[in-house]
Amino acid sequence: MTLTLGHYLFLGSGLFIIGIFGALTRRSVIGILMSIELIFNAANVNLAAFNRFLHPDGVTGQAFALFIMTVAAAEVVVGLALVLAIYRSRDKIYMEDINIMRG
Amino acid sequence: MIEYVWLVPLLPLAASLIILFVGRESDHSPMPYVGIAAIGAGLWISLRVIFDGAVGAAVLPFEKDWSWYSFAADLGGRAFIFDMRAGVLIDGAAAVMLAVVCLVSLLVQVYSLGYMHGDTRFKRYFAYISFFTASMLGLVVSNNLIVTFACWELVGVSSYLLIGFWFEQKAPPYAGKKAFITTKLGDLGFFLALLLTFTYAGTYNIVRLKEAVAMGYLPPVVLTFIGLGLLAGAAGKSAQAPLFIWLPDAMEGPTPVSALIHAAPMVAAGLYLVARVYFIYLASPAAMEAVAWVGLATAFLAGTMALVPYDIKRVLAFSTVSQLGFMMCALGVGGYTAGLFHLTTHAFFKALLFLCAGSVIHAVHTNDMRSMGGLSKRMPVTFLTMAVGSLALAGIPPFAGFFSKDLILEKVFEHSHLMFAVLVFTACLTAFYTFRMLFLTFLGDGRDHDRVAHAEESGSVMTVPLLILAALAVVSGWLFEHGHAFASFVGNGGAAEAAAEAAGHGTQAAAGHALNPMVLAVGLTAAAVLLILLAYSLYGGPDLSRAARIKERFLPVFNVLENRWGFDAFFLFLVDASDRLAVLCRWLDTEVIDRIFVDGWGLICRVFAEISHLFDALFVDQAVDGCGYVSRDVAGRGLRSLVARGQVQEYLLYLAVGVSLFAILNK
Repeated sequence: MTLTLGHYLFLGSGLFIIGIFGALTRRSVIGILMSIELIFNAANVNLAAFNRFLHPDGVTGQAFALFIMTVAAAEVVVGLALVLAIYRSRDKIYMEDINIMRG
Repeated sequence: MIEYVWLVPLLPLAASLIILFVGRESDHSPMPYVGIAAIGAGLWISLRVIFDGAVGAAVLPFEKDWSWYSFAADLGGRAFIFDMRAGVLIDGAAAVMLAVVCLVSLLVQVYSLGYMHGDTRFKRYFAYISFFTASMLGLVVSNNLIVTFACWELVGVSSYLLIGFWFEQKAPPYAGKKAFITTKLGDLGFFLALLLTFTYAGTYNIVRLKEAVAMGYLPPVVLTFIGLGLLAGAAGKSAQAPLFIWLPDAMEGPTPVSALIHAAPMVAAGLYLVARVYFIYLASPAAMEAVAWVGLATAFLAGTMALVPYDIKRVLAFSTVSQLGFMMCALGVGGYTAGLFHLTTHAFFKALLFLCAGSVIHAVHTNDMRSMGGLSKRMPVTFLTMAVGSLALAGIPPFAGFFSKDLILEKVFEHSHLMFAVLVFTACLTAFYTFRMLFLTFLGDGRDHDRVAHAEESGSVMTVPLLILAALAVVSGWLFEHGHAFASFVGNGGAAEAAAEAAGHGTQAAAGHALNPMVLAVGLTAAAVLLILLAYSLYGGPDLSRAARIKERFLPVFNVLENRWGFDAFFLFLVDASDRLAVLCRWLDTEVIDRIFVDGWGLICRVFAEISHLFDALFVDQAVDGCGYVSRDVAGRGLRSLVARGQVQEYLLYLAVGVSLFAILNK
């Protein structure tokens, strides 16, 4: 059995759905950040797969995946820093308690 | 000398401007002499032109023109430069007209020095006279019909100024307006004829136009219309039926002006125009016939109207109209030289008669012949010169009118016996009314003793022009008729016309219808003398009761004639009708068009605007307000506090649902 583009997309969409589900349902901010990482990786899988199957000569998709990983790492740093700052000032980590953006 | 003929109209024009703008208004202003000098120079040039032409030193017709304006044109895919040229064209007729106009104008100006002395606008009067003469001279020399038309209108303007010269009184401005508007009515025809001419011939140059007609570029129907249009213009200017109504009223101007209008400058313009474009009439028999009938009707109607008035100038005015009818009729039957000949001789004796009348009026301060009578002893020079003028007008040999009228009647006899009969009758009337006027004025008793007893002969500045004109009235006919000098000179510029006349003459003579000139001359003279005697028996003595009895008996006829055959009433009716029409149109405009269409449309617009406003207020505005209302946040209720609860995961859910919706709906 050979791996086709469909298998990779299936994998990508599976990761994405898991990530979305996690992001919408987790109460903890840490869990939400981890779910978002999953969504990123779903996108990376898709990019690499499309590059491999539609444009095998180039490396644009892989390069883009690397960029996204870098950006995701930086973003997680910022995100965890925010979480730490909130936790220290309010002693809370559940999302429903953090509603200072209420309109 | 003929190269300088273009100076003839320009000198008086310059003189009029100088008189108008230089110097101050005063009784002793030297300015009139500027005008007299200018017209004198013009007369000298035109006499030299005639002399040169007669001895062959100058070749007639003489044409010289300059470029007026030019522009690039593109017509029917053919590009060319259209060059409008204006200049002078002198043929025999033009040369004669120049001399006549200059001479009469010169004498009238000299005479006016005496007549207008003491008038408050002494200087301005001479400016107008010079301008009037300049316009007429421009009309005579021009070789371009547009320039002719412009001068034609200038003649109208200056006649308006001169007729209404005493504008403080009531009648003169009215008469001026009447003259201007009536002639304008005819000018319309002239203008339309000009448009037609250019459309078909592409030129206004008279020589070129003649070539175009000869080559047959103009269809006969168009030629007829052009001829009729020009005839309408000529009828206005030359006081032909039915537009003659202005001429009797033109008497309101100063008497020398009447002399000028009646003798040369103005009324000759129409006849001159017809003669100038005679080739058009020769090519269109219908237009020619119309000319003849118009002339005939004018001659007859005016001749009868001249029988009844008591205003001395009015008799003369009607006689002018009648004589102009003679000339027009002559032109219409192919008598080119006969018409112009009568125009020339008539200019002399009619100017003479008017200046004599002016002399009388100057002496007795009234126009009414019932207040005159017995003036022959008080004013012998005026009486004698006026008698000469009257004899010339009545056509008694050897005075000028005899020769020219004879020539016309011969021509008319060849053409139509009916016309001949009418014209002979009119000629007899002429003799009668002329001498009725003369006898009423100078013979019998002085009916108004105060006026007559204080009448004195005018000064020499007025009588000398009378004597010169009287001499011309005596000799001009014989002089010109002698050896057919006039015919051969005028024929110079119109060989075709002469040929046509000769051809007409030949066929008629062959048919045996030609009239023996001797029979005509003797018969006419005898009739004229008889009528003069009749006039003497009625008006010559101190007792006017017989005339009064005749008037009693034929009162209805007299009334018709005094009402001028109802022409004035007819035109006043037209004016009145047009007034009423204007009122009706105004009513139609304000009450119907404004009310129904303009206001109605406004009403419809308003109704639609109201509907639109209601829709706007009820639906659009409410929708906007509703959006604002639901998104308000009042006490924690409303859309905003419902959605924006600060729960980030809810926001993400909305995002996910939204993207999913797009994905689904995009199918």
